[in-house]
Amino acid sequence: MPIPIDFALIAHQESWRAAADVLAVLRGPYLAPIPDDDLKEIFPWFPPRAVCHIDHRSVLGHSVHGIYIDSFIPPDRLAHKYRHENIERVRDAAACAIKAGARIVSLGGFSSILIEGDSDLLPEKGETVFTTGNTLTVAFVVKGIKKICALQGRDMGEATLLIVGATGDVGSGCARCLAPLVKRVVLNARSIDRLRSLAEELSAGGKAVDIATDLQQLSVQADIVICVASLESPSLLLGRLGPNAIICDAGYPKNLSPVDVLEDCTVFFGGLGQSLGGMSFEPDVHRVLHRHPFPNVGQGCVMEGMVLALEGRFEPFSQGRGFITPERVQEIEAIAARHGIHLAPLYNAQGPLEEVACETEGSADERQIAAPGRAV
Amino acid sequence: MEAVTTLKCATADNANPISSTASIWQDVLAQAVTGELIAVLNYTSLAEICEDPDEVADALEHAESERGHAAAFTAEGGKLGIVVPNNVNAKYWKRLRTAFLRQIDARGFIGCLIIQEVMLESFAVASYKRVGQVAPGSLGNTFAAIAAEEEDHIDHAMAILRAERALDVQRFDDKVYALHIEVMTILAQMFAREDADGHCELCHGSCVKQSLPVVGLTSSELRGVALQHYLRTLDMLGLPGELTLVWVAQLPV
Ligand SMILES: NC(=O)C1=CN([C@@H]2O[C@H](COP(=O)(O)OP(=O)(O)OC[C@H]3O[C@@H](n4cnc5c(N)ncnc54)[C@H](OP(=O)(O)O)[C@@H]3O)[C@@H](O)[C@H]2O)C=CC1
Ligand SMILES: [Fe+2]
Ligand SMILES: [Fe+2]
Repeated sequence: MPIPIDFALIAHQESWRAAADVLAVLRGPYLAPIPDDDLKEIFPWFPPRAVCHIDHRSVLGHSVHGIYIDSFIPPDRLAHKYRHENIERVRDAAACAIKAGARIVSLGGFSSILIEGDSDLLPEKGETVFTTGNTLTVAFVVKGIKKICALQGRDMGEATLLIVGATGDVGSGCARCLAPLVKRVVLNARSIDRLRSLAEELSAGGKAVDIATDLQQLSVQADIVICVASLESPSLLLGRLGPNAIICDAGYPKNLSPVDVLEDCTVFFGGLGQSLGGMSFEPDVHRVLHRHPFPNVGQGCVMEGMVLALEGRFEPFSQGRGFITPERVQEIEAIAARHGIHLAPLYNAQGPLEEVACETEGSADERQIAAPGRAV
Repeated sequence: MEAVTTLKCATADNANPISSTASIWQDVLAQAVTGELIAVLNYTSLAEICEDPDEVADALEHAESERGHAAAFTAEGGKLGIVVPNNVNAKYWKRLRTAFLRQIDARGFIGCLIIQEVMLESFAVASYKRVGQVAPGSLGNTFAAIAAEEEDHIDHAMAILRAERALDVQRFDDKVYALHIEVMTILAQMFAREDADGHCELCHGSCVKQSLPVVGLTSSELRGVALQHYLRTLDMLGLPGELTLVWVAQLPV
């Protein structure tokens, strides 16, 4: 009897290092790792398929069972010119999830971007529903910003918030949630028309909103920056920012270029949740898929499908682009919290930004926050 | 070892001097012709162990069709002014044939189908298709047409294999795995970046793999399309994708 599949996660690796690690787990402990050149030659040809099974436990006691499906989009082929082949990979991955009988599927990372959140572009679905997972991502980005501001004693009401990738699904959701809480909002993306229409919507609420396609133009005024542009690689250079700026990089792959010098800023990776009930992976690719310094941490987008499965709400909670509202964010956050899934402890490339009491696996009892100090 | 007498067996030594791309096609065609001749031998052997007269006729018909493919490839060489060598005793091909003969000795009809139709044909169809896209004129057309024919004749075998799997899934999957280890390891070595065991005994000079970019091919791409085709074929048989991914990930590179 095949095991019923409550949820599936469709995702891809953000670096060749991560891809190599996945392959190393599949090869097992006795075979030498595949040399990098061979890996890059072979990996892109794998048809999408399940890489591991996942059990996710709710703090309420029950658990759900799912699969992680890799679309095997090569980490260096996320650019627009590969869009068609990548859409095919996402469609193939979706077909895998449907064939496995998954009841709900999260479209992680670029999977939802490629199909613009439109699950009508996916194969015949039967009973399977799809969610972009972006509402829970927005919830965790917003919570992270609030938390770090609180821990640093910053007055959000006096802050200028800059969102890079503001007109995207995650960016616009963050803008709607945070605009009422800050003094001023600056929106950045490439298309001026979409920036204008989002600015119109936000300023209708009485907020001061500026738009800029040239990032350097207004970044110097920013106290808080959210980076959620759909960049194919970490290439974003923010330039000068306001003093002691807070920067949340929620891109996958990361937005911020490792060469950007961000003096006196606090950088953290956003959009991440942690499950107190815990997750187990078979084969054990947990550390490979979730490359975080804390256990049981995952991206909001992939967590959303698991949360909905734990709640028994098999519905396309997040669909399309630009429809994420503060009410829906609150709703998914409350569902997640009920099952013990909360904002993950904050960290960046240098390590944790918080001291976390971590005696027992999955305990996220935070105590204090590090002083500002930049890191990417 | 067996002799294949219906085709003139030329060697690189008596081939005429030719242009650089023609010499690459000569090596590509040598592999293709040899693969087809192995298929002729395999289907002929298969006919000998079939009990059902229809299956006997079917196997012999396949053998004939593979012989036609070998002849068509050889004729393409002729159009380029080259003599296409073949050698069913060349290192990798001989090992593949030996693996097939082990199934014949055990009268393993299903094992034979798995080796020939799932493994060898995956590599043939996928690489012929790719060559068909880049080879000029009638050479390209011939590769593409033969790839299509190979794909056509796979359907019948797939139906038999699916029915066999339905009888006992675990036993069937175990059998495929055992053959995967035996046969796919050889194919993976054959398609690897470098010949770990030395010269393949078919290419007329040094290995053709390094020269393939000159004609718009790469050995890495041929290996990639072949492994992809193999995984998709196993999917069509109903084997779990996560399992076959591990199998392929564990092949030698
Ligand atoms: N941490 C997490 O859990 C999650 C992270 N993500 C990541 O968040 C990011 C955004 O995802 P999502 O909102 O779904 O994507 P969308 O495609 O909906 O939006 C992308 C946004 O980025 C903008 N953009 C693209 N290129 C640039 C650029 N060079 N400079 C400035 N703006 C740019 C786009 O506008 P325009 O085209 O006009 O420039 C748009 O505003 C991605 O990296 C994604 O992988 C997504 C889900 C979960
Ligand atoms: Fe053939
Ligand atoms: Fe054939």
